[in-house]
Formats: sequence, C-alpha cells, structure tokens
Amino acid sequence: MPHQCVRCNSFYQDGSEVILKGCSCGARLFFYVKQESIDNAKRMNARLSDRDKQQIEQDVLDLVGVEDDEPVVLDLETIRVTRPGKFELDLVQLFNNENPLVYKLDEGKYVIDVPETFLRREAFKKAQLKKQS
Amino acid sequence: MLSVMKKFVNKVFRNLFRKKSVLKIGLYGPPNGGKTTLANRICMDWLGEEMGVASPIEHETREVQVKEQINIKSGNREISFSLVDTPGIATKIDYENFVRKGLSEDEAKQRAKEATKGVIDAIKWLDNMDVVIVVLDATRDPYSQVNITIIGNLAARDIPVLIVGNKVDIRKADVKKIKAAFPQYDVLGISAKKGTSIEEFYEALFVLAG
Repeated sequence: MPHQCVRCNSFYQDGSEVILKGCSCGARLFFYVKQESIDNAKRMNARLSDRDKQQIEQDVLDLVGVEDDEPVVLDLETIRVTRPGKFELDLVQLFNNENPLVYKLDEGKYVIDVPETFLRREAFKKAQLKKQS
Repeated sequence: MLSVMKKFVNKVFRNLFRKKSVLKIGLYGPPNGGKTTLANRICMDWLGEEMGVASPIEHETREVQVKEQINIKSGNREISFSLVDTPGIATKIDYENFVRKGLSEDEAKQRAKEATKGVIDAIKWLDNMDVVIVVLDATRDPYSQVNITIIGNLAARDIPVLIVGNKVDIRKADVKKIKAAFPQYDVLGISAKKGTSIEEFYEALFVLAG
C-alpha cells in the first residue's frame, strides 16, 4: 500500500527504504493511503488548500512534539484532524495505553507518534505493576 | 459510603507495602465543569493564592498545572498532597466554537491545537494519580461519552474516585441525576465558585486520601 510524502506528494510502496530514512525532499512525515481508497484520498486531499495541508502537517508535528523523528504508519486512529483547528479524539483509544497514538489526517492518511507510544506503553506497564503491588 | 470505606482500606493496605512519594490528587472532567475554579478554591482556602485562570470559554486550561504541598487540616487530622489541575477532556475540539466566543480564527486554531495536546497530556498524567476528583457540571447531562469513559478508566486503573457535581448554585443543577448515572460512586454536590458544601468536600477528601 502506498505512502505519500506530505511535503512533495511522492508515492512510495510498502517496505520502501525511503519510509524509514525520509523522503529525498527532506520530509519525514508520510500519509498512509489504502489502495482501495486512494482515489477518494486524492479527492479529499484536493479539497484542502496548500495552506490547510501545511497547517495540518505543522499542527500534527507540534502535537507529536518531534521534528525529525522517523515515522511508522499504521491503520489505527486516535486523533482525527478533519481541517486545521478541528480535532476529533477517540477517548477509548487514548485511554488505552497499550495502543499507539495515531493521528488520522485524512481518509487513509495517518501518522503515528512513536516516542509517545513507547512512553504510553511504559506508563501502562508501571500502572499495571502499581495495581498489582 | 461502603465503597468509600472499601477504597480507604485498600488505600491504607496498599500504602503499607509501597514506598510512597507525595500523594497526587488529580482534577479531571470535561471542559467547563469547574476544575480550575475548584482548584482555586482549594488553593485559596489552604495556601491563600489561586492556581489558574478560570474562563467561560472552554479549554482555558490547556496545560497540566501542579500545586505542590497543600496541607489540609481538620481537628488533629492533616493530609498533605500535590493538586493536579488538568485540561478538560473532550471528544471533539473545533476552533469555530472559540471563534463564536470572540477569538480570532488564528487564536481559535491555536487554542484548538493546544486543547488537543492538553487532552493527551491529561490522560498521560492519569497513571501518576493516587486519587482523582471528577468534576462534572451538575447543570449538564451526566450521561456523556466523556464522563463514562473517564470514570470507567479510573475504575479499570483502580484509582479512588470522588465525583463532584459542581455549580449547585445554579437552579437547574441536578446532582441526583449524576448519582443515578454513577450509582457505584460517591457523588457530592458543591459550588466551587460560591463555596457551597466545601467543608463536606474536604471531609470526603480526608476519607479518600487520608
């Protein structure tokens, strides 16, 4: 399934080294695009202005709190950014520290906050130990 | 009352076997329930200073605020704790709501982003809490996804909980409805703004965290 660079819109296939190392344009944020919804995703993407797209990218990176971390992309979502300034939160997923923190930027476009996910897992383990003690 | 006693016994038993750092009491709930107003009331009563700024515009508190070393005394009893005021937890944050309250579009979008981060941080802090006070607006319907999710997750984490139905000074406040919604928890009606039933609130804190 393809991954699209959020900055230059280049597509990369699964397993591409670029996903791990970053795009040639310097961006490290990729949209995950499901094969079956790729046309829909392109339409959705087209509805957002360049300014909106940049704003969403910046907002998510600010929320994640990292500038150049390597992204991992999964088909899950905890926070959906429908437009700049409009956020929908899945509290059940957010409260569940076992799940990764995933931002849904648009249909088929996700970014996962890797450092935060590890912190959440550690917190979850500590809480489990605390509960057992 | 039985559940309070059970939690108290559990807490004492747990503390016997655990080296305890400073007790942390967290204020959680949906936006505009009165968490910061209650935090200010507690801090004014026992420290003589306020903790944060309360506002009629939702998501005024967008960062977790901590006030260390609050000592509450009643007779010869005393508890010492850190009070943690958290951003309001919501399922949807839309900048347009802030624009309608008079913020510029840029300010509103920034506020929405910070509020979203605030929700994540509030949830992250939950595992550090020893006791949680869930502050609900008693004039609003308690059967909301946010309320049920927060309270359900506190139960899953085995964190002692006191539910506060705030704003009882407003006529349409209905604490009984909150009690009906969460019958397995202790629910106390207060007005953090006016100080109504605040002594009962401190008593409940002694039982829960003492």
